Amino acid sequence: MKTLPLLGQFLGRLCWNPYVTADAAGRRLLFQCLWGLYSEHPGNAVERKANQWIRKVLCQLATEGDDDPAQALMKQMGVPPKEYHLKVLRKTVALLQENIGKSCSSLGNINQRCSCDNILATSEACVPLVTCPEAAPLIGALLQQPVTCVRAALSEDFLDALSSAHASQCLSLEEQAVVSLWYHNLPSLEEAVLSLLECALTNSRSIPQKQLEQSLLPKACAQHCSIFLVVNDIFRSILKQAEGKESVKYFIRTFTSCFLRELALQQHQSSVSLKAMFPQSPQRLLLPLLTRPSEMPQEARKHHLHWLSGSLQRLTEEEEEGDGDTSSSTRLERYHRVFEAWFLLVQCAHWVQVAVQLLVTSEPEDCGPLLWLLIFYHHPTNRGHHRALQLVHGREAWDHLHSLFLVSARPLPVDRLQSLVTLLSPQSQQPSLSPLLTLNLLVHFAVFLQQSLSAATEILQTVVDRSGLVDEAECVLSSLELRLNEENCLSSDTKRVHLRIQALLNTVTRMHAASNCADNEAHTLTL
Amino acid sequence: MEAVLKNVASTTELLAVAALSGEVQRWDKQTLSRAVQWARYCEHLFSRFHNNPAIRMLMEKQLQLTNQSLRAAFAGYIEVSFSDLSRCQHLLLVGLLKNPELPISIMKILFDTASPANTQQSECQDVSGFCSHIIQCKSACKVLSPLTDMSAVGVGADAEVQAVMLMERLDALLSQGSEACRTEHILDSVLRGFEGAAGHFCLVIAAALLTKRNSAAQSTSQDFLLDWLQKEQSVLQHMCSALPATLIIDLTKEHLKFRRAYCDLLKKWASDMEYSISEGEWVQPRGNRTVSFNRLTQHFLGLFETCPSLRDDVEKELNALKISDGDFDVGGLSVWGDLLSAVNK
Repeated sequence: MKTLPLLGQFLGRLCWNPYVTADAAGRRLLFQCLWGLYSEHPGNAVERKANQWIRKVLCQLATEGDDDPAQALMKQMGVPPKEYHLKVLRKTVALLQENIGKSCSSLGNINQRCSCDNILATSEACVPLVTCPEAAPLIGALLQQPVTCVRAALSEDFLDALSSAHASQCLSLEEQAVVSLWYHNLPSLEEAVLSLLECALTNSRSIPQKQLEQSLLPKACAQHCSIFLVVNDIFRSILKQAEGKESVKYFIRTFTSCFLRELALQQHQSSVSLKAMFPQSPQRLLLPLLTRPSEMPQEARKHHLHWLSGSLQRLTEEEEEGDGDTSSSTRLERYHRVFEAWFLLVQCAHWVQVAVQLLVTSEPEDCGPLLWLLIFYHHPTNRGHHRALQLVHGREAWDHLHSLFLVSARPLPVDRLQSLVTLLSPQSQQPSLSPLLTLNLLVHFAVFLQQSLSAATEILQTVVDRSGLVDEAECVLSSLELRLNEENCLSSDTKRVHLRIQALLNTVTRMHAASNCADNEAHTLTL
Repeated sequence: MEAVLKNVASTTELLAVAALSGEVQRWDKQTLSRAVQWARYCEHLFSRFHNNPAIRMLMEKQLQLTNQSLRAAFAGYIEVSFSDLSRCQHLLLVGLLKNPELPISIMKILFDTASPANTQQSECQDVSGFCSHIIQCKSACKVLSPLTDMSAVGVGADAEVQAVMLMERLDALLSQGSEACRTEHILDSVLRGFEGAAGHFCLVIAAALLTKRNSAAQSTSQDFLLDWLQKEQSVLQHMCSALPATLIIDLTKEHLKFRRAYCDLLKKWASDMEYSISEGEWVQPRGNRTVSFNRLTQHFLGLFETCPSLRDDVEKELNALKISDGDFDVGGLSVWGDLLSAVNK
C-alpha cells in the first residue's frame, strides 16, 4: 500500500463489481486483501482511517445497495432482505432457464436471427456463478440443451470454470448435467477418469466394484459413445504403462462390465451398435467375448473357449509370420491388431477366469487351448518367441498342482510344496511364468477340486505364506466370489463352492491380519 | 404467552447491545450464533402472529415498554416496532456491522467464504459465512439481470417477486376480513414508497394482476386491486401509457374490469384532445402530454385485435359521437371522426 496507494482505490472498486463478488474464489481473495489491510492496533491516523473504511465497505456490501422502492415494499410486506434477494435470484434463474429450453428452428435460414444468441451470453454470465448452488439449474440447462443450432455454443471460459470447479469438488450439479459437462469438455472428463483410477488403484486390497457403482462414468459412457472411446484410450495408455499390473487389468474388467450393464439398461432408448463402441477391436471376436458366461450353458463354455483360444492364436501367428517383412507400417498394423485383441480380452477377462476354472477341472488332454489363453492373457507379447517355452512351463505347473491336490496322504510332501513356492516367487531367468498365473491356478485348484477342505486350506496357507502373496490371493478369491455371485447358477455344487471360498478367504484374511500385526510390531521395535 | 413476550423484550435488548454497546468486544462465535438464533426466533414469531391482531397488540405494547427503557439507557437508540421483527436478523447484522467496537474476528466469521455454502436448509445454516452468502446472492442477481432485460420476457424477476409478495399480503389482509379502507391505505403507502419509480410500480401492479391465481380467495385480491386502480386514475393512466403493448394486451385478456377501465381511459384521452393547427394534428392539452394521436390509434387497434367483440360496440359509440359533433367527413373537425377513419384504414 505504501508503494502503490492507488491499490486501495482499485480494491474499493473491485468490491462493487458483482462479477468479482459473485464468485466464491474472487470473494475469498477480496476479503483476504481487506483483512490484510486491516490493522489490529492502529498506530496512526492513516491506519485508523483505513480500518474505518474497511468496516464501512463491508457493512455496505452486506446490508445496503438496494434500491429504495424495493426496500420500502419489503419492509411493508414483512419480508427480510435476505429472503427477498434469494427469491429474486431463484426467479431470475427460472426465467433464464425457460429461455434456454426453447430450441430454435432456424436451421434452414442462416441469416435468420434466433434465440440461441443469448446462450453464449448466458454461459459467459454464468462463469462467476459455477460455485453458486442457486444457479445450478441454469447451468444444468445450458449444458443439456440439445445442440441444434450453430449459434448455440457455450463459452470456453464457462466450460473451463466448470471443469476447475468440478476438479476441486465445489460444483453442485445434478447427474445429467455432469454427464453433459464431460461430453462438452474433454479436460473435465479426463480429470474424472484419472481421479477414479487413482481412487480405485491406491487402495490395493479393495475391489473397485463399490467405487464404480458410485461413479457416474459407466452411465455417462453408455449415454455417449464418444465418452466411452475417450475413456478407453485413457485405459489403453495406462495399461501400456502399467506393464501387466493385475489391479489395473482388474479395474478395466470391472469398469467394462459396469458399462455393459448400463448400456443394456439404455438400449431401449437408443440403439448404438457394438461396433461403434469398440471400433478398433477385431470384429469377429467382439460378440463372442462380450457375451457373458452366465448367458451360456455350462457345457457350451468349453467349446466357446476353445474357439476363442484358437482365434486369438491364429491372430498372433499372423503377426509373427510377417516378421520377416521389412515394411514397418504393416508390422505396426499387425502389432496393433494383436494389442487390440488383447485389450478386448482384458476388458472381458471374465472368460479368462472361466478358462482357469475349466482348466483345473479338466483332463490333462484338454488343457492345451485353455492354457494358451491363460498365458496370452498374462504375457501378450511374444518377445524372443518365448511363448512355446512358457507353454511348457505352464503345463509343468499345471501337472505339479494337479498331482499335489490329488494326493490324499498326509502329511503333505514338503519338497513339492517348496518347489511350488519357488514357482511363485519372481524368477530372474527368462522366460518366467507370471507368478500371478500360477497363483490363480493354485487358488482355483483349492476351490474346485473335490479334495478335503482342510488339506486344500493347508496347501494354500503354506504356499501363500511362504511366497508372500497374501494380498493377491485374497484378491483372486474375492473376485472369484463376485463372479460366481453374478452368474447366479443354482446347481448343488455352487453352495459347496461358495462355502469353500468363504473358508479359504477367512484363512487368508487371518493371515493378512497376522502379517499386519507382525509388521506393526517390527515397525515399533525398529523405532 | 408471557414467556414469548419476555423473549421479544430480551431480543430487542440484544439488538440494542449489539448495535450500541461495547459488550460486543467480548462476543465469540457461540455468542454470535445464539444472537442470530434469537433473531430468527423473532422473525418466526412475526410470521406466526402478524395476522393475529390480539397477540400483535400485546407484542406492540411490550415493545413500547422495552423501547422506553432502552431509549433511556442508550443514546442514539432507534426504536423497534413490531413490523421490524420481520427482519430481525437484518437489524442485528446492521447493528453489529455499524458498531465500531465489533472485534474483527467476528467480522471474519461473518464474511467467511471458505466452505461451499449449504443452502438447503436455511434454518440450520451455520452463522459462519452469513454475510458472504448475502453478498453472493445480491451479486448473482446483478450478474444475471442484464440477461433478462435482453430477452425482454415479461416484467423482470424483481417486479415479479415483488408482485407475489404484494398479492400474498393482500390475500392475508382480505381473508382476515380487514376493512377495505385499511387495505387501501396499505396500497396507498406502497404507492408512496415507489415515489420516483412510478414506471417500476406499474410493472409490479401488472405482474400482480397477471399472476396465476388458483383459488377464489386469491381472485378476490386481484379484484380488489382492480377496484383500487380505478380509483387511482393517475396510476392507471401511467400504466396504460408506459407499459409495453404486450403487457397491456395480456391484462385486457385476463380482466374484464381492466378492459373496461382501459377503454374508458382511451375515450377520455380522446375527448380531451384538441386540434392544433400549428402541429397539424390532435394533441392533448398542454401540461398533460402523455399520449399522441398516433399512439392513441395504436391503442385502439390493439384493443380491437384482442377483443373483436368490442370493436363493433366501440365503433358504434364513436360513430354516435361523431354524428353529435356534426358528422363531417373532413379531418380536423371531430376527433371521433378522425379516430374512426384512422382505425378503419
